[in-house]
Amino acid sequence: MATATLTKKKVRINGCVASAQAAKYADVDVIAAYPIRPYTATMMALAQMVANGELDAEYIVADSEHSQLSIAHGAASSGARVFTGSSGVGVHFAYELYSPISGSRMPVQMMIADRTLDPPGDFGSEHTDALATRDMGWLMGWSCDAQEAFDNHLLAFRIGEDPRVLLPQMVCQDGFFVSHITADVELPDSGQVKEFLPPYKHPYPLDPRHPVSHGPQIMPEQGPPLQLERARAMEGAMPVIEQAHEEFAKIFGRTYDPWLEEFMTDDAEVVFFLQGAHGVTARHAIRHMRSRGVKVGMVRLKTIRPYPTDRVMESLSRFKVVGVIETNMGLGSVSSGGSLYAEACAALYESPKRPLVFSFMAGMGGEAIVLKEFYWMTNKMLDAQKRGSIEKRTHWVGFEE
Amino acid sequence: MPAIEVQRQMLPMLESPNQGARFYNPDLPQTEPFVPGHRTCAGCGPSIQYRMTSKASGDNTILVGPTGCMYVANSSYLCTPYNVPWAHTQIGSAGSFTAGVAAAYEAMIRKGKWKGAFPNIICEAGDGSASDIGLASISGALYRNHDCLIICYDNEQYANTGIQASSRTPYGGMTTFSPPGPMVPEAKTLFPKDLARMMAAGHPHCYVATASVGYPIDLMNKVRKGLNHKGAAYLMIYTPCQKGFVYETPRSIDLGRLVVECGLYPIWEWNPEHREYDYSFRPQSMRPVSEYLKLQGRFGHLHAEHIATLQKFANQQWSMMGVELPEALVRATDAKNLVAMASAEAAAAVAQTV
Repeated sequence: MATATLTKKKVRINGCVASAQAAKYADVDVIAAYPIRPYTATMMALAQMVANGELDAEYIVADSEHSQLSIAHGAASSGARVFTGSSGVGVHFAYELYSPISGSRMPVQMMIADRTLDPPGDFGSEHTDALATRDMGWLMGWSCDAQEAFDNHLLAFRIGEDPRVLLPQMVCQDGFFVSHITADVELPDSGQVKEFLPPYKHPYPLDPRHPVSHGPQIMPEQGPPLQLERARAMEGAMPVIEQAHEEFAKIFGRTYDPWLEEFMTDDAEVVFFLQGAHGVTARHAIRHMRSRGVKVGMVRLKTIRPYPTDRVMESLSRFKVVGVIETNMGLGSVSSGGSLYAEACAALYESPKRPLVFSFMAGMGGEAIVLKEFYWMTNKMLDAQKRGSIEKRTHWVGFEE
Repeated sequence: MPAIEVQRQMLPMLESPNQGARFYNPDLPQTEPFVPGHRTCAGCGPSIQYRMTSKASGDNTILVGPTGCMYVANSSYLCTPYNVPWAHTQIGSAGSFTAGVAAAYEAMIRKGKWKGAFPNIICEAGDGSASDIGLASISGALYRNHDCLIICYDNEQYANTGIQASSRTPYGGMTTFSPPGPMVPEAKTLFPKDLARMMAAGHPHCYVATASVGYPIDLMNKVRKGLNHKGAAYLMIYTPCQKGFVYETPRSIDLGRLVVECGLYPIWEWNPEHREYDYSFRPQSMRPVSEYLKLQGRFGHLHAEHIATLQKFANQQWSMMGVELPEALVRATDAKNLVAMASAEAAAAVAQTV
C-alpha cells in the first residue's frame, strides 16, 4: 500500500483506550461489558464509539463476568467477531468459560488489564489474575505500553482467527502502568487493517442452513483426540504467530519479535526476565547501570502461551545469572515465589549451559518497582555471579538487606 | 454502509389449543428438528417437550442447551438428535450464551454478514439452570430483551445428576438431597420458587407463560407466541421425569394434565402489551392433589398432614387464578379428611373428581 494514501494519525491515549481503538479498527460485531477497574475504561470508550455511530456493534452490558464470557462464547459460535475483557477477580469469576471457549475453538478476544486479586484487591497490577488461567488454551501475552497493546490486539485477532489456529486470546496489559498511563499511539489507516485482518469466518458456526452440534458430551475414550487437537492447535499457532508479526511489520512498519524483547543483552552477563510494563522501568535502570559499567540486560517475555520454550532456552543460556521478576503469586510453588521461575527453569533444563536462576517477588499488590529496587536486584544477581551459586530461590524485594 | 433491516419470522397459531395429547391436529408441522436416536429415558417429559417445541419453531432455529438432561442424555458424541444448529453451554450460562447468539445475528444481519430472516433462538434450560445457577444470566437476557425464547423445562429437580432437589422441587418431594427420615418426615420442607411469576414481574416487557406437556397444542402455540414476540420471551413447561418422580412410564402425559387439574401447576400467560395476566386457561376438571400425588413414588412417604399442606398450596394457586374453590377441595385441606400416602389405594377411593 502506497504510504501517500494512508491516513495514519498519532494520538495521545492510555492503554485502555488503545485497546478500545483496536477493537474498533477490527470492526467487532459483539462487545460484552461488565464494570471492574481498571479495564473498565476500555468498555467506556467502546460504549461512546457505539453511541456516536463510529462503530456498528451490539454492545451488551452483561450481568457478570461469567455472563460476559458466555455471551462472547455464544456470539463467536454464531460467527460474530467478539470483544470482551476484565480485570482481577472479574477474570476469575468467568473462569468456568475459559476451557469451553478454547475447547470449542472460538477465537474470542479478551482484554485484560491486570488487577491484584483479593486480598488485598487494591487497584494495582499483579499478573496473578490472568496467569492463573494460563493453561486453559488461550493465546496469552503482555504488552508493555499503549502502542504495543493496540498492536497486540490486532495481531491476536489475526492469529486467533486463523483457520489453522482458531483459539481465543487474552491480550494482557498491566493495570495502571499501561491501562491508565497516556502515551503516543499511532492509529493506522483503516485500509491497512483491512489488508492485515481478513473478515472473521468460522468454519462451523451455528447457522440454520448448515446445522451443526457444538460441544456434545463424549465418552472418556473420545476425550484424548479432542484434547490432543487443542494441544496441537496451540503448538501449531507458533509459526502462524511468527508469520503474522512479519506481515504486521510489512503493513504497519513496526517490527516486533513475537516471543522476546531483548534489551542490551549482547554482552550482558546478568539479565532480568519479566513480562509487561515493568520492562519500561527496567530499560531505564539498565541504561543507568550500563553507564557505570555493569553488564546487565533484560529479556522480556512477550508471549507466554504458547510458551516459546526453545527461544527462552537459547536466549537465557547465554547469560551467567537470570533474575526472574515475577509480579505474580505462586504460593507454595517450586520456588515459593511466582510461576515464571518454574517455566523458565523447565525451559533451561535441557540446555548444556544453564545460568543461575532465581526469583524476585517485586511489584506485588501492584506496587511500582522503582529504580533503586532494580539496582538492588542487579546487585543480588552480581553477588550470585561472583559466588557462583544462588543465595536462595526467591527474594522478596523490600524485605531483605 | 447503511444498516440492513432485520427481517423477523411470524409463525401461525394452531387451532384447538385446549385439546389433549390424543387429539389429532392436521396443521401440526411435519418438520422434526428433534429426531429419535438419543438416550433419554422412556416417557421422558423434557424430550416430549423438546420435540413439540422444536416442531413449533421449525427449521430456521438455533437451539442452546445448558448442561442438564437435554444436554447429557441427548448428545452422545457424533450422535445428537438435533436437525438444527445446537450448542451446549454451561449450566449457569443459559441466558448469557443465548444472548450472545441473538446479539451476533442482530449484528451480522445488520452489517450484511448473514442474509436471511432472523432465526428462532431457543434456550432449553432445565429447572436447575433456570431457577438456581443460571437465574441471573436468564434475568439478564430477559431484561436486555434479546430476541429469543428461554424455556425452563421443569422436571422439578436436578435429574441428570441423579435426582437432587432444585428450587423448583415441590414441598414433600423426595430427592437424594431431600430424603425423608424421622427428623424430616415430609422430605422437602421448602416450597418451590415461583419462577415464572418472578420472570413476569421482573421483566414485564417480556412474553411469559407456563405450559405443560399435557396440553401440546397450547404448548406449541405459546412457543410460537414467544418467538413471534419481538424481544425476549420466557416459558416454563411442566415436564415429568419418570426416574425422579417414580411413576409408570406411559403416564407422562397424564401427569402433565393431572398436575394442572390439581392446581399444582397453574397455566397462564403474561401479556406484555397490556401488562396483565391471562388466567383464561381452564383444565377440563379440578381434582384434589392426592389424585396427582398418589401416582408418584417421590410422594409415597407423605402423611395426611403433608397432603393437606399441599392442598392448601394448590388452593392458593386456584385463588390466585381467580377460580372459586369447590367444597371438596376446601375439605381436602383438613388432614382429618385425608389418609397417608402409604395407603394410597384408600386415598384414591376417597378422592373426588369435581
